[in-house]
Amino acid sequence: MVSRSEVLSLCRAMLRAGRQYPHYNLREYTKRRTLDGFRMNKNLTDQSKVNEAYAEAKAQFVVLERSVKFHSLYPPKTKNIMEVKLQ
Amino acid sequence: MALRNAVLRQLRVPVQTLGMNQSQIGFLGSIRSFSSNDDHLSREAVVDRVLDVVKSFPKVDPSKVTPEVHFQNDLGLDSLDTVEIVMAIEEEFKLEIPDKEADKIDSCTLAIEYVYNHPMSS
Repeated sequence: MVSRSEVLSLCRAMLRAGRQYPHYNLREYTKRRTLDGFRMNKNLTDQSKVNEAYAEAKAQFVVLERSVKFHSLYPPKTKNIMEVKLQ
Repeated sequence: MALRNAVLRQLRVPVQTLGMNQSQIGFLGSIRSFSSNDDHLSREAVVDRVLDVVKSFPKVDPSKVTPEVHFQNDLGLDSLDTVEIVMAIEEEFKLEIPDKEADKIDSCTLAIEYVYNHPMSS
């Protein structure tokens, strides 16, 4: 039985993990994809489907954490143009 | 005890009251040397930046945003949008808001209060 607060906690945890990528494109993608993924399933009413979706998201979260760790081993050498402040 | 007092009598510096008049005290009272509190954000700056973050959210109508607006009741957002906005505020002010506190923030007033009272906002 997955509660609403657990779902929001998982969403927040995934967004926080995605923020740690040194790469601009991976950061933005993670943010976009987690929010889209949670929004896609936000209207589910059947509790078993909700649990399924939560388990999927949890698995993706584990993959995400691991991915952040090894992407951090090889950070990009130059700043992405999107990160440069407009002058 | 007596030895301690004897040593202290040698070490203690004689104190003289300076006898300043009232106007001098008023001037010196406004200088706060070594005060570390001046780099905290002013309330106005916090309000402006929080409102900018909320206004730049794509689902929000910027004309409806006021410092008292409620995300779900007034702006028609849902809880995932609220999570997104709170994350954006965290990034703007370089904070880490724990889940328990973040769950409570569901309006601009609460967001402004939290950021203003947080010692690490920058």
